[in-house]
Amino acid sequence: MDTSLAPTRSNLMKLKDELSFSRLGYDLLDQKRSILVSELLTLVDQAVDYQNRVEKALMDAEKTLQDAIMNMGRLRVANLAGAVNINSSISLSERRVMGVGLPKVDTSFSGDGPYFSPEGTSMLSELAINRYRRALELMGKMAELKVSIMRLSSEVKKTIRKVNALEKLVIPDKEETVRYLTSRIEEQERESFILLKAVKDRMEREEELKKEVNHG
Amino acid sequence: MDYFVIGDDDTVLGFSIVGVSGEVARTSEEARLAWQNALENKEHGVIIITEDVADLIRETVDHYLFSESFPLVVEIPSPGQAFKRDLKSLVNQAIGVSI
Repeated sequence: MDTSLAPTRSNLMKLKDELSFSRLGYDLLDQKRSILVSELLTLVDQAVDYQNRVEKALMDAEKTLQDAIMNMGRLRVANLAGAVNINSSISLSERRVMGVGLPKVDTSFSGDGPYFSPEGTSMLSELAINRYRRALELMGKMAELKVSIMRLSSEVKKTIRKVNALEKLVIPDKEETVRYLTSRIEEQERESFILLKAVKDRMEREEELKKEVNHG
Repeated sequence: MDYFVIGDDDTVLGFSIVGVSGEVARTSEEARLAWQNALENKEHGVIIITEDVADLIRETVDHYLFSESFPLVVEIPSPGQAFKRDLKSLVNQAIGVSI
């Protein structure tokens, strides 16, 4: 409560304006918070789904790679990497939710098989390539979701802080100051009212005294 | 832009056969170096890092994950494992309250 404020009507009006502005801000931020949280929850659900798919795709891919390594030897599998000319390229774009920039990842692959002579290589290596490619496609989407979630969370955190500050500190404080000012102003009014009454009384009495003196 | 992978031998080999460059890291020193190399090239839009390696340089990774806008970081489980970090707990950590 700000007791240093002079109890005048203009200050009270200003304060009431500030209070309604804080309430408006609170409403808006509260809405923002609920929109962000609902967005966040959808993203989390999606991300959990993708995480499971990535996990499975990676496990498959790793298993196949292990088999290929068993079959052909690590060195030859590694040599294949040089022969394969798949180019994965990602394009990053942004979408905005309530002023928060969320990344959008699109993965595109260029280059098609066959990448190397089937002679002397195992079919498992082809399979491993396909599976890793599949995992990589999911990875882009998962990166997008995870980073979006992180950014949204930090924005939610900030918004919650602001909402709480308004709700628990700023608004009650202003309300109390308004009450204080109102009571001070009313008190002043009563005082001056009584003062005026007293002056009026005295004037009337003097008037009567004068009359009595004149008559007498 | 493209991916960059930091992890153990098998993960890096696996991703290299689909044209993703990467670096193997076993110690925290190597991980730090690999991370720096990954950041140096601005073409690396998404950094894939295995959880085991990320644990070695957890602070750096978390810094980029939570507060930097670029590059995007995605953690994957090490071969033969499941995800260690639950997404919900990650979100709770980021917000500071549970939802």
